Amino acid sequence: MEAFEGFLDDGGIVEPDDAMPDAYREAVFRFIEMHANSELMGGLTERDWIPRTPGLRHKMATLAKTQDEIGHGHLLYMVAADLGVKTRTGMLEDLFAGRSRFHNVFHYRAKTWGDQVAIAFLVDAAALVSQQAVFKVCSYGPYRRILKRIIAEEGFHMRFGEERMLRIAEGTDVQRSMFQRSINDWWWPALQLFGPDSRPDDVLLRWHIKSERNEVLRDRWVQKFVPLLQGYGFAIPDPGLAFDEEEGHWVSGPIDWEPLEKTVQQAGPDSARRIGEAAANWADSQWVRDALDRVAALPDVA
Amino acid sequence: MTVLSESAIEYLLAFADDEHLMGQRYTEWIGVAPFLEEDLALASIGQDELGHAAMLYAIVAGDDDSAIDRLALLRDADDYRSSWLVEAEFPGWEHTLVRHWLYDAAEELRWELVSGSTVPGLAAAAERAGREESYHRRHADALVDALLGVPESAERLQNALTEVLPLALGLFEAVDGEAMAISEGVATAPFESRRSLWQARVAARFNGTDLGRLPAPDQDRRRRRSPDFAPLMARMREVYNLDPSAVW
Repeated sequence: MEAFEGFLDDGGIVEPDDAMPDAYREAVFRFIEMHANSELMGGLTERDWIPRTPGLRHKMATLAKTQDEIGHGHLLYMVAADLGVKTRTGMLEDLFAGRSRFHNVFHYRAKTWGDQVAIAFLVDAAALVSQQAVFKVCSYGPYRRILKRIIAEEGFHMRFGEERMLRIAEGTDVQRSMFQRSINDWWWPALQLFGPDSRPDDVLLRWHIKSERNEVLRDRWVQKFVPLLQGYGFAIPDPGLAFDEEEGHWVSGPIDWEPLEKTVQQAGPDSARRIGEAAANWADSQWVRDALDRVAALPDVA
Repeated sequence: MTVLSESAIEYLLAFADDEHLMGQRYTEWIGVAPFLEEDLALASIGQDELGHAAMLYAIVAGDDDSAIDRLALLRDADDYRSSWLVEAEFPGWEHTLVRHWLYDAAEELRWELVSGSTVPGLAAAAERAGREESYHRRHADALVDALLGVPESAERLQNALTEVLPLALGLFEAVDGEAMAISEGVATAPFESRRSLWQARVAARFNGTDLGRLPAPDQDRRRRRSPDFAPLMARMREVYNLDPSAVW
């Protein structure tokens, strides 16, 4: 392990066929699996609103975004499967059985179109901040390469969300009050996406899977979105939020980590419905996968 | 923008409405298809169909999002000219796959009828759509082919076909203005004239299917909506209706 860590400290990149300590393999796998699950569950969160997108070409753009998210999930599952810990089907089955994790934000329900825009704007931005920090140093080669593409596409999504947010911000009272409610509902989950402050012994940092501490990334997001949202006349639902004049820096109030902890235990506000529906859909279409498996297993008589 | 006759507009809207609602139906499948590749394929096909609808609405109303949306979303139900096949809400993925096969087999023939259209922009749209459609058909056919090869899934597809096929016949039903539109050069022949070719392809694909005695839906020259139309349209307008004066 010491030699391996030295290799990583020198900027070494690990490829799937390289020898690696089991603990490293397991840590990288869990990280990518959670990312893959989150792309898929995020797509399902947004899925509720695609058919209701107001406008034909607008709907094409919304569909394209969700298609990207599912596509990211697809790529990430392949990268994760190459680590040999679980197959792709094994990962999906664990996800739908509630045995594996996905990001806290996708344990909430998108109840309005405003929520849909808030996800594209606030949540995607939070995910992007995290992914950029991983991409910068990530010691696992295949993940780093895939992240390059994901980050490029997520950049488009954020601009898409920003554009929709602008229409609402410059829009009618109905639009603005809907979006304020969405900010009220999504601000804290998006902020909690970064997780509590990183522990000093965080192996993800030590093994150069992540490059920056959770609290640093969270703070970067706060510095961007507080002035942006306030600039458009929206309120931040954090009564303890304060501006440090000397440092020119926004400081969040105390963070209640209980809601995040609930999502980790699959007991978030929408966890049961979300996982239950995904599991039911998976079960309903089992006959297709079974049939295609049998076709693949048939001897080639041609 | 060229001024189109009422007949030409009715003909184009029937085509556009079918493409639009077909695309809309695909958007409901993303994330819940049987496997991830299929999620992506259905989303991509839905994207193409919505794109075709946008091209056709733009030919009628001009290439402007709000003009397109007035046609796509804001007409009275009686003014739509969609077929019942695309309005239908089906319970299972097998119905979706069978509809996909039947619809795209017909759509190919439909675009061919306007590939030499005198309507500005329509021949170019047909060329683009024709390229995309060859992928759609290949996709549907590969899956149908594989699933017909296994008894359990073949039975599901055949059962779905029994439900979907009568509705699919309604695709070929003409609007009142079709004959006039053809005389104006919008299309070269009635869509109905391609039905026997389509039926032959359906019969060849779904072995032994009897297409002779099926009742077509009572669409009244595409003026009558099916029961699934109202909930579909309500969902499509849900956000819009929150504040019709808003730009979303």
